[in-house]
Amino acid sequence: MAAKDNAPEQRIAILPAMIAALNGAFDDISKAMRLHRVWIALAHEDIGDQHRRTTLGPLWMLVNYFAFVGTFAFVFVTKDASNPSYIAYVAIGMLVWFYLTETITMSVSLFQREASFIQGTTLPLFVYVMRLTMQCIIRAGYSLAGCVLILLLGGYGINTNWLLSLVGLLLLILATPAFVVVFAFLGAFFPDSEFIVGNLMRVGMFFTPVFWVYSGQEGIQEYAYNWNPFTYFLEGVREPITTGIFPGHALAVTGYFCLGLWAIALLLLGLYRKRIVFLI
Amino acid sequence: MTSITLNNVSLVYRLFEKLTLSAPGRRRSALGGNIAKSGTKQVVQALDGVSFELKAGDRLGLVGPNGAGKTTLLKVLYGIYQPSGGTISITGKVDALFNIHIGFRPEATGRRNIVLRGLISGWTAAEIEEKMEEIIDFSELGDFIDLPFKAYSQGMAARLAFAAATTLEPEILLMDEWIGAGDASFQEKAKRRMDELAEKAGIIVLASHDDALIQRVCTKKLTLRAGRVESLA
Repeated sequence: MAAKDNAPEQRIAILPAMIAALNGAFDDISKAMRLHRVWIALAHEDIGDQHRRTTLGPLWMLVNYFAFVGTFAFVFVTKDASNPSYIAYVAIGMLVWFYLTETITMSVSLFQREASFIQGTTLPLFVYVMRLTMQCIIRAGYSLAGCVLILLLGGYGINTNWLLSLVGLLLLILATPAFVVVFAFLGAFFPDSEFIVGNLMRVGMFFTPVFWVYSGQEGIQEYAYNWNPFTYFLEGVREPITTGIFPGHALAVTGYFCLGLWAIALLLLGLYRKRIVFLI
Repeated sequence: MTSITLNNVSLVYRLFEKLTLSAPGRRRSALGGNIAKSGTKQVVQALDGVSFELKAGDRLGLVGPNGAGKTTLLKVLYGIYQPSGGTISITGKVDALFNIHIGFRPEATGRRNIVLRGLISGWTAAEIEEKMEEIIDFSELGDFIDLPFKAYSQGMAARLAFAAATTLEPEILLMDEWIGAGDASFQEKAKRRMDELAEKAGIIVLASHDDALIQRVCTKKLTLRAGRVESLA
């Protein structure tokens, strides 16, 4: 009975805490945005360091992308494989999937990798989030160049459908910092998640319509297509180009998913950003 | 006017039982401090009721055995750790010399590392430009400045890190041990730089185990033991 009587008071107490958390998160984000030169410079250095001693440099990312798309298009030779639309389907699917996989798997160990900065400077936590976001965007830029080349060679001339596809890409980029925050906190609280998430993302490729086409099959493919949020990220970018249809449903689902993800990310950032230093 | 006022500051943090699949005995984070129980949770009482007041011209030496809370107190003053109790009031820009090698990238040139270091320290592009030659001159690296950092000897790397880290106009300077770098002649130069910094800073808080250094540099001495102020003289 007493608990029931206290419920409104508890709700009142939780509300200011939530508002304070959100204010803290927005404060951290705005400070990090003012320090954009820091995370842009660090992300460029990260990319440069990864390929500094190689002959092709960052172009290796483009080669990797071509290798994967080519392999899938070759291995999954079906009557569709000679169809340019299937190659375009795989090319865009791979572009989005690689971006998501890299973002998520690298996020899980983010705070651990940044431990010396977090324990030795007062940089806002969101600086590290944006550093990784920027790094993933730069890497995806190389794959995007490869994807555009494949599409043009496949006879997909640049038209207004590409603009619709950009909406999907924009949503994907908007969701990226939220993905990074959520998975970085998961990795800080649950270190084993680095391996669990890595494995799930590897397996997840087969449960996401990256290279297989959903055409009303029942069973596992139906669930994998309809109940997998990544499907909608993929279709939001892919459908306008491969089918010419505005992906209203995919963009709506992606939009709601982004809102939910950002809400969680903001709460995590607001509530735990000052505690991360004790966790790593 | 620079000032620092701490009133009954405490820092208690929970020993997070990280969610992990490893054996229970290996779960805890390796953190120092005094472990206490708070209900069913284990907590570390890193600082307990720390109060003091510093005004412009004060040089405070923090002394105490390992694990007393000296570095923790410096990190609270710098804003890395948020105190769990008490109030802190700081007027003035706080600079810290904790880890002077932080952010240096082995693949980047010395010059690029100065730019990165400047960005991390919050310098503007104009400030980086302005300080660049001064840092290069002070580090005495000459043409090596355009070679990758990894090509430097240990002494050269230390000289660059020292030069970049101490190019400051501090109002409040926090130091975890006095820093020095390089060979005998550079160490003399580094000592002069540190003395100048100490001279320029409105307030200094220096944590050290070196009593002679504390006597030479500081005007006040705060002894910490187990996170508590044992004496302030």
